[in-house]
Amino acid sequence: MTDIDIGTGTDTDDFDPHALAEQDFLDEVHSFQFWFDSIEGYLTDRPYGRLETTVEEALDEDRRERLITTLCNYSVGETAALEGAAGLVQLAPDRNSKIFMATQVADEARHLEVFLHRLRELGVAEPESEIERRAQPALVDFKGALLELVADGDWQAAVFAQNVILETMEYTVFRLHAAGADAVTRDVLAGVIADERRHAGFGENDLGRSLAADPTGRSRLREIRSQLDPMVLGVFEGALRDVGAPTAERARLAGEYLDTVERLGLT
Amino acid sequence: MAEFLAQYSIQRWMEMCPQGYLEDTVYGHEPDATEPEFLLADDDEREAAIRTTVSLVVGERCALAASSGLINAAPDYPSKRFLATQTLDEARHVEVFTQRLFDLGVKKDDLESTIDRYANPNLVKFAEVLLEKVEHGDFVAGVVGQNIVLEGMAFTVFELLEAGNREPNPKFSQTLRGTIADERRHVGFGENRIGSLIAQHPEKKAEIERMQQEMSYYMLATFSDSFSNADTKPRPQSDAPVANADFHGTNLATATPEEMEAVLANTVIGEFKTRLARVGLEYQTPTVPVPA
Repeated sequence: MTDIDIGTGTDTDDFDPHALAEQDFLDEVHSFQFWFDSIEGYLTDRPYGRLETTVEEALDEDRRERLITTLCNYSVGETAALEGAAGLVQLAPDRNSKIFMATQVADEARHLEVFLHRLRELGVAEPESEIERRAQPALVDFKGALLELVADGDWQAAVFAQNVILETMEYTVFRLHAAGADAVTRDVLAGVIADERRHAGFGENDLGRSLAADPTGRSRLREIRSQLDPMVLGVFEGALRDVGAPTAERARLAGEYLDTVERLGLT
Repeated sequence: MAEFLAQYSIQRWMEMCPQGYLEDTVYGHEPDATEPEFLLADDDEREAAIRTTVSLVVGERCALAASSGLINAAPDYPSKRFLATQTLDEARHVEVFTQRLFDLGVKKDDLESTIDRYANPNLVKFAEVLLEKVEHGDFVAGVVGQNIVLEGMAFTVFELLEAGNREPNPKFSQTLRGTIADERRHVGFGENRIGSLIAQHPEKKAEIERMQQEMSYYMLATFSDSFSNADTKPRPQSDAPVANADFHGTNLATATPEEMEAVLANTVIGEFKTRLARVGLEYQTPTVPVPA
């Protein structure tokens, strides 16, 4: 897979947030100001996520159709993430987490917007009905499961489902897709991937700290994961097929996703 | 509808805020700006500033909870996306006003206890009325409560504070100008989006007007408490610059607390009447609250 340059967008001055004491670090990296400085680097001068100099490639009908289906499902995933993050603002246990989640709400809404905009560029006149028509059932189920955890007020489980499972899944699919995508879609995905990395980082960090103080937390998350994994793997199968990944590659990437979640040591 | 909602997209927000009036600011003001010496050196002045700022934090926390809570109830993608930008705006406001408390000397560990100590109980009740609607997923009532009543109040209070602080405290004044620009956008969305929804659901009018009446009651009670404590009246020191700011015909440098309360309440209510009428609702006058 070709690595794409997404940059970090953060200031490259001498400032290193990792040199801060823990609370100061959290105050810094979960702030609006940090978000603001981060996105400035990779979103300035990219209307709807694309560089104005990027030239649209001609897509044959089959490729265009598959791209539309893929973007429709990305929109379902981003709507789930938007609604999940919005609910998590209410549940956040401290002001830093609340503010971080508010930045994530805006990120997820931006992702939804750039995918809807791309669908219109591809000639889809009414994206909302097209999304409904092409949505993968496994992804719709996952969205329902995530929002149920949010509705139950379960911060730890919802952060796990949203910022670890969903973000890891999206990160894996988006990176694969970006490597072989047309130039405009690749631009759009680059900005989205940079955001997803920040969200996943928050999830790992937050859960790492809460699990250290919660002896039963891991087994609870393991149980939740066992309920979500079949949906996630179903989503993978469909998403990787839509982006044109060969069968062997699909199995490898699903394995990569499972390894990534395992490596985090959260379950 | 689609055309007007395009004005409230994330893309438009990015062009207006991070790449517009917030560019090169830190916590909403020039990076080197500080609170004025006359305020930091005088315990009474500093306490009054903390009390005022706590009210702003309480109001913005309510707005953050309401805007994020309404996303899941929004009936269409453009409304969800607009509310996402509003969620971020409100989080920024919480952050900049919280930062002001730190700048005024509140220690991070004392933040919540300071807010508990100075939060006006009537303002807390005002927030509860709105958040009950949000909790029930009532999008129409929630947007009226949030984007017309709460934001209409915040907009006018910020304008008054900005006018009063323009000369003596340029740092705070600049922070307020950024929040005013945000609030103007939020109020605009409320008026534009909600009018058509109320026309579709006329049966909701009476309930929404009751909510407005209740919120207005607690708002006026908050004003009454605040000005009876005289905690927002600028009291210039001999070495401080004197604000000579006009706010709707009242000179804030010489006005009494009663005059300031009257001009603030009349201005907010006037705004409510105009904005509610635009969405097909009629302003309901609350009973007059008695100072605590």
